[in-house]
Amino acid sequence: MLKFFRRSKGWQLAGLISPGALWILLFFNLPLLIMLFISFVERGRAGGIKIPPVYTIENYRLFFNSCSSAFSGPECNPFLYLGIFSHSVRIGLMVTFFCILVGYPLAYFMAKQKQVWRDALMILVIIPFWTNFLVRTYALKSVLATEGLLNSFLMNLHIISQPMNLLFNEFAVVVGLIYGYLPFAVLPMYTSIEKFDYSLMEAAADLGASPRRAFLRVMLPMTLPGVVAALVLVFVPVVGAFITPDIMGGGKVEMIGTLINRQFGVARNWPFGSAMSLILMLLVLIGVVIYFRSSTEETRRGI
Amino acid sequence: MRIHRSLHLTFLLVAGCLLMTACLGAGSTPTPAPRITSGGFECPEPEFPIPVEATELNIYVWTEYVPLEMIECFELIYSIKVNRSEYSSNEEMYEVVTTGGSNYDLVQPSDYMIELMAREGLLQELDREKLPVFGNFDPNYLDLEFDPANKYTVPYQAGTTAIVVNTDAVDTIPRSWADLWNEEYAGRMVFLDDSRATIGMTLLTLGYDVNSTDPAQLQEAENKLSELIPNIKLFDSDSPKTALVAGVADLGVTWTAEALLAQQENPAIQYIYPSEGAILWQDNWAMLDNAAHADAAYAWLNYTMQGNVFWMMLRDFPYTNPNTAALEYAKANEPELYDLYTSSPITNTPASVIGSGHRISDVGEAAQLYDAIWARLLGK
Repeated sequence: MLKFFRRSKGWQLAGLISPGALWILLFFNLPLLIMLFISFVERGRAGGIKIPPVYTIENYRLFFNSCSSAFSGPECNPFLYLGIFSHSVRIGLMVTFFCILVGYPLAYFMAKQKQVWRDALMILVIIPFWTNFLVRTYALKSVLATEGLLNSFLMNLHIISQPMNLLFNEFAVVVGLIYGYLPFAVLPMYTSIEKFDYSLMEAAADLGASPRRAFLRVMLPMTLPGVVAALVLVFVPVVGAFITPDIMGGGKVEMIGTLINRQFGVARNWPFGSAMSLILMLLVLIGVVIYFRSSTEETRRGI
Repeated sequence: MRIHRSLHLTFLLVAGCLLMTACLGAGSTPTPAPRITSGGFECPEPEFPIPVEATELNIYVWTEYVPLEMIECFELIYSIKVNRSEYSSNEEMYEVVTTGGSNYDLVQPSDYMIELMAREGLLQELDREKLPVFGNFDPNYLDLEFDPANKYTVPYQAGTTAIVVNTDAVDTIPRSWADLWNEEYAGRMVFLDDSRATIGMTLLTLGYDVNSTDPAQLQEAENKLSELIPNIKLFDSDSPKTALVAGVADLGVTWTAEALLAQQENPAIQYIYPSEGAILWQDNWAMLDNAAHADAAYAWLNYTMQGNVFWMMLRDFPYTNPNTAALEYAKANEPELYDLYTSSPITNTPASVIGSGHRISDVGEAAQLYDAIWARLLGK
């Protein structure tokens, strides 16, 4: 009997795949289904869900029309949650834009170095990852504080006479997110640029293209898969971020992540939190689809 | 009281002798031999000994809220292993207890959470016969609206939410919640990241109930609160004292211990009870419905709340102490601690503040409205 299992290729394969598959099924797919279920039932009075469950689409309706709740006030703004959502998307796009703007030249610079230097620079980009994200965020907070490094430095140089308000506002959140996610943008762009054949640029120059035109028409399109990967890798986690807005924004900057987080805490509304999480996932899915549409199998493998 | 205690002691001695001769090796019954903790503290004998079968006790408590020596003494006296887990918000504790799989005997919910847990049938009614320790408490902290007649809870520690101000930095000292709307404070305040407390104090300035669920009143509060937002530099519930001590904020709203610790760093920091009334809160012991070690839990409550044990709260976690016996013990044996406690209006909440104070209670489904208001205020 054992011999049969050992011999059969199919069984071997199943044996190899099943632990991972089971893990994903049990701890990723099943919870997702539970979340889907919770998003379609009424909340319990004290949190959790009503038992026995009462099915409803109210949680989704509430998201698109925040006045559909029985407790909406007389001056209700129906676009409350949609507004916070679009605000998060705006912050996400802004952070992604700056990460790519700063990251692309850096990746280019790294890719142009000799192999030894490339590896060293790569490690320098990766090392901050080894420090806990929370610690890095708190460190940045002390740089931007009223009596922090940056303000004291600028004041000592007499560039400014009054400390600037850099912390506990949207600016701080955007800076914190760019700081946290820049490596996610640099690495995929670096792999793309590294594979780029620079003789193509020479060819473009020979054919009369200006350096700017050569970059825009040759290099950028050919390294675009790396840029799109960076876009997805930065945009997706940033839109759902909740620790950075909480710490850098001093609890004053509302994003979709902080909103969802509260539904499982003080607001005790699991169904609404689940519904919003699923809507966020849908948005992320659209992002990933765009990524797959814009890249071919080969270029994705390159990344 | 004295006579009572010596009677108890004689009873204890007699009982102890009887036990020694009658049933040696019964295990977890207290025996009168001196027990010393690793810190060199001699654990007092139980005033209200409880016969215990269990060898374990599982407690789920707030972070940094139960003195280690208290646990050690209980373990030495009763030969019971105490397993302690910690949480940092009522909601966190509620999630863990309701999602199942936990086997805790005792938890420490705050006022509003007790109403909720009792209604959900998560708590068991306490047997007063087994809790003679109830006599130790100041009646001001008993029979409160969140648990009438203390059916489910024994008080632990209490405190307030009020105004904190650095008197060196601020010209006009606020005296009421309404004073916080002063334009002089623009961008200078730190608030607790707590929607209920912040919206609640705004309701108070309008003359409404701190737990209002009336949409019109809450709308009014929201409009008023949106005018306060420019004054608030940050919301922080983890460590609001940091912003005050570092000078990032000059005034704000915080609770008892944070204010006391900030004051110890900078004596110019004062705690002010607003004229509309401070917000009062109280943490309490409660026994879970499915507690497996109820006997050990009763022994724990009686032992740790006796005066010559609970006094160590003044030393380790100086919040407002509702335990009269502990205060009396401290007065006689730890005069320095006692003076520190009574001389500070932060810890020793004046009776007038308790009288005019307000308590946050559960608002049920209106919690969603409070959250929507919060989201609107921040999302602007």
